[in-house]
Amino acid sequence: MNLDLGFLLQQFLTGLATASTLFLLAVGLSLIFGALGIVNFAHGSFYMLGAYLLYWAVRGNPEGLWWGLVEVAAIGLTLGALVERALLRPVYPRPEHHQILLTYALLLVIEDGVKLLFGAAYKSLGPPQALAHPVWIAGAPFPAYYLVQILLAALVAVLLWLFLKRTRMGLWIRAITQDRAMLEALGVPVPRLLTAVFALGIALAALGGGVTLPMQTVSPGAAVEAVINAFIVVVVGGLGSIWGSLLGAFLIGEIQAFGVMLWPEFSIAFVYLLMAGVLLIRPWGLLGRPPALRT
Amino acid sequence: MRAIPLALLILLALLLAPLGLSRYATEILTQGFILALFASAFNLVFHALGLLSFGHAAFFGAGAYTAALLAARAGWPYLATLPLAVLASATLALVLGFFSVRTSRIYFTMLTLAFAQLVWAVVHKWYGFTGGDNGITGLEVGVLADPRWLYYLALSLLGVGLGLLWLVERAPLGYALRATRDNEARAEAIGLSPFWLRLTGFVLSGAIAGAAGFLQAAWQRSAFPDFLYWTKSAEAIIAAILGGSGHLLGPGLGALAFIELGAFVQARTEYWPMVLGLVLLFLVLFLPRGLAGLLGGRGARG
Repeated sequence: MNLDLGFLLQQFLTGLATASTLFLLAVGLSLIFGALGIVNFAHGSFYMLGAYLLYWAVRGNPEGLWWGLVEVAAIGLTLGALVERALLRPVYPRPEHHQILLTYALLLVIEDGVKLLFGAAYKSLGPPQALAHPVWIAGAPFPAYYLVQILLAALVAVLLWLFLKRTRMGLWIRAITQDRAMLEALGVPVPRLLTAVFALGIALAALGGGVTLPMQTVSPGAAVEAVINAFIVVVVGGLGSIWGSLLGAFLIGEIQAFGVMLWPEFSIAFVYLLMAGVLLIRPWGLLGRPPALRT
Repeated sequence: MRAIPLALLILLALLLAPLGLSRYATEILTQGFILALFASAFNLVFHALGLLSFGHAAFFGAGAYTAALLAARAGWPYLATLPLAVLASATLALVLGFFSVRTSRIYFTMLTLAFAQLVWAVVHKWYGFTGGDNGITGLEVGVLADPRWLYYLALSLLGVGLGLLWLVERAPLGYALRATRDNEARAEAIGLSPFWLRLTGFVLSGAIAGAAGFLQAAWQRSAFPDFLYWTKSAEAIIAAILGGSGHLLGPGLGALAFIELGAFVQARTEYWPMVLGLVLLFLVLFLPRGLAGLLGGRGARG
């Protein structure tokens, strides 16, 4: 096995690239669970939908990528708001399994809806001309697009952090995971806040799906895989925690990148093993808060 | 006791059905019994233990793969693999349950999901032993190759499974399980051991799910990694919730409706998941009372 520094760095960066899309995919799921208390089984569907929306938005022209991503995020925001208002709001008071059934139904509808609109065949789109070449890092080639992908995810993480830390709405979102009744008593428009959180989470997932399209093909079946990946990330990092999602995405990305080197067949198994291990030792996740402190 | 003549009539109809039905209709009904057995097994954990497992596909798959491996690789007659298929699923449930039943709520759901996906990942990639994503195909299933024999076997196993679940519900075990579900602290205070009770229920549930997997492999004459994927667990959940988790027969009826509706829709359009999704959306959103009624009249369980 070739173990020089350049090669290891290449693997590490590949892991980071995976982590960057995992983060965009999972952080919304985590926010939504934290604020709405809903386990969104359709989360991966919006990620998959994001890739298709980008494909539709650029109409085969890779140069339209950046503007296309803006469109995807905007559609995601709108779609998220609509879904929350029309479908989720009625089921907040219901038992958990009704909510799960509802989001699972949404998963089925989106999967077939995409098939209906775009066909069942794989769709792909190359990166823009400027990023279609490899860059050489420590003597090893690395796709330039991945670097942009990593930077983009880092930018989103920082912006999200600033939003949650520095804005009034961010403060409310952090507060609602702690004590919803108190927030209502203080006159915060909680229903609108919930709509905003869900819309934001969906927009991030759609953006994540869009960002992967230049390097990966997409098919309707991508959703069921994506949602499980999102679960792994948020469970490992901690449900409701943004830094947790970042850490979870980083760990999963790197485990996949280096697991492929060590034991190619079972690199996915390592990831599930980590998920089970975290649930057994720290059920609330590496950076999550233990439930006792939440009430 | 007006229910008894009706039950006998339905039983008679079920026994005579294959004689009058087409091969296709018999096979679809058999598939319904298989999902009914699987959903009823899942429901033991869901209803009596009050835990939502997203990992029952692992036990379903373990039963299917044990039977398929013994038949294809060791040359066992297919029927003879049933005891070992059930035992393998029970053993897997014992191991996974040992860790899972300590947790509760969302953590239990996520842990069972993680374990089942772990088993899936191994089966999916272990080409040398399980055939990887090609699965194990072309099984010699002996007499079960005749859809009627498979129908009667599936019906019998469903009957045995439901009988067992009925006994558990009536037995002290059932009362102890529900007591633990409703108030763990009190159950412990009167000397019950929640951990062992839950583990017993979980293993029993896994064993019955294994029998369903055994039937599924015979039905398809193959075993595929899809049997272990999380969407398989979701099928049992949908069937149990829609049919009514509060009734012994609820999950089974939900499963039969699910399969029959699926066959009906699939004969007309390829967009069955879309139809199912819309039906589920409608039921959850617009018939909450209807759903609660279907859920067994005990109202919503938290």
